[in-house]
Amino acid sequence: MRRALAGVVGAVLLLAGCGIPAHTEVQVDGSGPAVAAGAASFRRGEPPTRTASGDDRAAFVRNFLSAAAGEPERAYERVKQFIAPENRARLQEKQGSEIAVNVVRLTERPVITENANGLFSVRLPVQQIGLLRANGVLAPPVVTETEYRFGLRGSVLPEQEGTEEAGLFVTDPPNVLLLGVDALRQYYQTRPVYFWSSDGSRLVPDQRYLPLAVPDERRVSEVVKWLIGGPSEWLSTGASRLPDRTALINNAIENEGRWEVNLDLPGDDNRRLAQIGIQLAWSLPELDGQLQLTTRNQSRVMIPDLRRHRLEHPAYPVTGNPQRFTVYEGAVHPLALPDEGSAPVPLAPEVNRDVFSAGLSRGDRRVLAALVVRAPGGRQRLATGSGDGRVQIVNPSPQIFGTIGRPVWLRSPDPRQPYGLVVADRRLWRFDDRGRMDPVPLNVAGPVTAVAASLEGHRIAVVIGGVLHLASVNVDGGVVTAGPARKVATSLTDLSAVDWAGENTLVLAGTTGRSAVYEVSIDGAMETALVADVGARVTHLAAYPTNPVVPLPTVLIMYEANGVAYRYPQRDTIRRDQVVDVSPPPNGARPGSPTAPFFLS
Amino acid sequence: MTSASSPTPETTAGWRPAARALGRAVAGRALGLAAGLHQTWRRSLQVRVVTITLVVSSLLVGGFAYLIANKITDILLENAKTDTLLRLRSGSDYAGKQFSLYSQPQAAQLQDTIEGTVNYLAGGDPQQTSGVVVAITADRYAGIIETRTSPAADIRPLVSRELRAAVGDGKVAHQIRTGRLADQRTKYLVYGSPVPTSFGQLELYYLVPLTRQDAAAADARATVLATGLALVLLLGLLAALVTRLVVTPVRVAARTAQRLSAGLLDQRMVVNGEDDLALLAASFNQMATNLQRQILRLEEMSRLQRRFTSDVSHELRTPLTTVRMAADLIFAERAEFDPAVARSAELLQAELDRFEELLTDLLEISRFDAGFAMLDAEPTDVTPIVHRVADRLAALAERLGVPVEMDVPSTPVIAEVDPRRVERVLRNLVGNAVEHGEGKPVRITLGMDQTAVAITVRDHGVGLKPGEEKLVFNRFWRADPSRARQTGGTGLGLSISLEDARLHGGWLEAWGAPGQGAQFRLTLPARAGDRLTTSPLRLVPADATLPFGGPGDAEMLAIGPSRAGVLAIGPADGGGSTVSSAGGGGSTIGPAPKPDDDRAEARP
Repeated sequence: MRRALAGVVGAVLLLAGCGIPAHTEVQVDGSGPAVAAGAASFRRGEPPTRTASGDDRAAFVRNFLSAAAGEPERAYERVKQFIAPENRARLQEKQGSEIAVNVVRLTERPVITENANGLFSVRLPVQQIGLLRANGVLAPPVVTETEYRFGLRGSVLPEQEGTEEAGLFVTDPPNVLLLGVDALRQYYQTRPVYFWSSDGSRLVPDQRYLPLAVPDERRVSEVVKWLIGGPSEWLSTGASRLPDRTALINNAIENEGRWEVNLDLPGDDNRRLAQIGIQLAWSLPELDGQLQLTTRNQSRVMIPDLRRHRLEHPAYPVTGNPQRFTVYEGAVHPLALPDEGSAPVPLAPEVNRDVFSAGLSRGDRRVLAALVVRAPGGRQRLATGSGDGRVQIVNPSPQIFGTIGRPVWLRSPDPRQPYGLVVADRRLWRFDDRGRMDPVPLNVAGPVTAVAASLEGHRIAVVIGGVLHLASVNVDGGVVTAGPARKVATSLTDLSAVDWAGENTLVLAGTTGRSAVYEVSIDGAMETALVADVGARVTHLAAYPTNPVVPLPTVLIMYEANGVAYRYPQRDTIRRDQVVDVSPPPNGARPGSPTAPFFLS
Repeated sequence: MTSASSPTPETTAGWRPAARALGRAVAGRALGLAAGLHQTWRRSLQVRVVTITLVVSSLLVGGFAYLIANKITDILLENAKTDTLLRLRSGSDYAGKQFSLYSQPQAAQLQDTIEGTVNYLAGGDPQQTSGVVVAITADRYAGIIETRTSPAADIRPLVSRELRAAVGDGKVAHQIRTGRLADQRTKYLVYGSPVPTSFGQLELYYLVPLTRQDAAAADARATVLATGLALVLLLGLLAALVTRLVVTPVRVAARTAQRLSAGLLDQRMVVNGEDDLALLAASFNQMATNLQRQILRLEEMSRLQRRFTSDVSHELRTPLTTVRMAADLIFAERAEFDPAVARSAELLQAELDRFEELLTDLLEISRFDAGFAMLDAEPTDVTPIVHRVADRLAALAERLGVPVEMDVPSTPVIAEVDPRRVERVLRNLVGNAVEHGEGKPVRITLGMDQTAVAITVRDHGVGLKPGEEKLVFNRFWRADPSRARQTGGTGLGLSISLEDARLHGGWLEAWGAPGQGAQFRLTLPARAGDRLTTSPLRLVPADATLPFGGPGDAEMLAIGPSRAGVLAIGPADGGGSTVSSAGGGGSTIGPAPKPDDDRAEARP
């Protein structure tokens, strides 16, 4: 019995000893993961440091104007490197999304004058372009300064040469971060991101600036964050945001050639996720591979091929092959240019009379026509109509105006309710295909001289009082309304005509002393002079914008100045013999010239 | 044994004896208990079998249970490790990808990314935790990158320096640690992996609580233990039952065998069923039956033989009486016959006397054999019997020239004996001594003590050869068969004397040595029915020459059993004491194997 008891006790003790130990030695399970190959091209787009310019004061000022470029979180740090240590406190720092950079365009060269004691004063005459926010939006400027002044000083003591204290410093700095447009062009990448229009039918591009300092690997994350952040303020009435509380979980990462975006999406809606996928596909045009969208609850959208996905889901309906038309002797005629095809005029001959200018649009098989025709008393009126393949009847508007600009059709998502915009007697009007016209209220007062609609039909460019404005439009409730207009600063003044040159670029006609045609980004920061000297005021401008949906090599522009029509980029006039279906003029009569050229697509 | 050594004897002096007594008592109890247990162990087969079964099955079950419990624990732990390692590897992959976007530890969004990564790896919602703590540390960038954990906890006590060093060396390593992260101490499986980034290495740790595994292991252990205990108890019970099944019939068989050996020949075992034990019982019963039959047959044969002897003796007596009458007539008339015929008549008369004697002895023997001999014990003074016998044989002694000496107390020696039988025995013994005395004196000694009366008859004839002390009591035994029977003894005298002594509950013993004569001793209890233990007189005479030289002339030799039960011979210390009073009385010497064997001759 004793022995049995001893055996049982022994068994209990043994068993008690074989649980999970409270402490073990460190056991190595193998080597950790190696550093992932293919590290990014870091520091690609960092602006030059303070000492890079040496003693070149002009270069120093230039570098100072680019110092804020880069990742916004460290913009203050970079700019403060340029500022003399004793003055650094004057630049008040902001945090997070409050960080914004004033983008300015130098209207003249910086004026650097030497004072006593080796001190210099700098005067920067500027044009305020906008405020570059941390989310890459170049918002309208909030300050109105037209010049900035600050001082420069060299090293305080001779022995500081060659040390960190060597070189020039900014004294009395402006209390804002400044960024020149050249630096914006140099250290940023313009990126359109796409938001669904408020009716959810098409994608509305929104211009953003991404610092080149951001490595490629983070691009996707930045874009997703922008999408989550919502569209720019001026677009907010025409474009919709992602659902509230949508958030990106950590960074988007690339895994074996596949980008993975992990979202916290309220409602966990697969349809919504697919829409975000299309948004992302268009917002990341450089990516062609796979994209996987995951939400926290594991519903996922897999896009196996982004390029094909873009082809299958166009941002907005665009048909390629733009056709040129012109008005010649009171009628719309096709233009036959070398290397381009032409098509017959989709207008019945009986309506194609007494035309000053015209706007045609085609959606599916339906053709929309808006014609500015002669009205009694030397006045003008708008006549609109629609038809399958060919417009047989036009409905004249009841109103009669002194002058009417070129009418433009909005690319409405609902083909049965098309709308167009037109400037008549310096006011903006909307019209439909039954000849009804109503004025469109704008929040900016002033004479309206030109209007242009973007490709997707949700943004318009309006010239009000000779200044370019942008607004979003929406046709909610069957009525076209324009959102708040956003003023765009341009070098050109006294603008006379405008049209869209791309998704986020415009073609402007105005003067810089001479009449010129510029291509301008929609925020005004980027400008390219297309035609520096037209020779006369441009009265009419039409362009066929480049777009990523149906790519064109370049923007096609036709404009009219002093009664002569030109085309760009060929930079030649449109001659009479290029007009099709024209009966030769009677002998001796001076032939008219083609006017008011426009595109139909 | 309980009294411990103390530095001051004065203080201990008081309680030391008490403690010693207590210790002794305890030790005594323990020894008693141990002895009792030992006895139980020796005596009970059932206890032995059950104990051995319990011990062996405990060992087996214990070992098995240990193996099982260990295995279960191992499996649980291994699962947890595998799971955690998988999570860790994918986690460090994920974290590595997340951090690869940053080129320097100071990057503004790195902290946010670390926090987001930790939260993501921990399952996103910090409230909904499985107790797993995920942490990212930056040992190489302390001060630049803070340690982030999800849910928030201070993991430093749980991540040992050794583990940090191993992970810092770029190894994936793990360790089990016990510590307090939440409200109670918990065992944690701490896994660490390096997270390589563009600017250097961070460390990712998973702290997985082993509460569930621990509980499961304890559960399994308890189950295994309970099962094992139940199994052991069951086996013990089983062993007890089985042993009982076997032992009970064996005990019954033993009891039956004891009864059989006690003479209850009709005892039988109960046969139940047809199994091995039933076979044992049946065989046992058959053996008992056969034994009974054999014993009865032998008894019957013995009875027939005795009957035959008795019948023959009786049947011979009638014709012998007739022959006797005729022979008496002839003998009376012998003077008238010629001398040769007269001589024949004398011979006839002598041989008829012998024949009659022989028949009488045979009848007496057969009476003993048949158990018809009855003892007529009465308080008797033995002295006159001795004298009477000596007187009766005086004529024969005189004829043979043998002087008979008497050593008889003057006071009466009273004992409860049958005087007729005592006289017959003495006559036989003295007659034999005179016959074999070869002219040397014969001495008759009478002794007595509280319990017994003894008579020795000593002669100095040829004596007895070794081994003949017993043979002399056999029926018709003759020391020298070639020697003619001179005195006409029947050869049954000593046998009858032995039977007479037995009838009294006494002893009749012989001693003899070649050339030294012989001595016979009759010992009878003073009260009839008493059991004899000693004899008042010695069997070996004092003047006998002992083997191996013997003692010198001047010294007495004391012979007696030593304490160890071995016969010891040595000089006696009391030189003047008589031989008869020396020693315990039961001592003996000579070629007799054991004193017991001598006495066995005389026991009833």
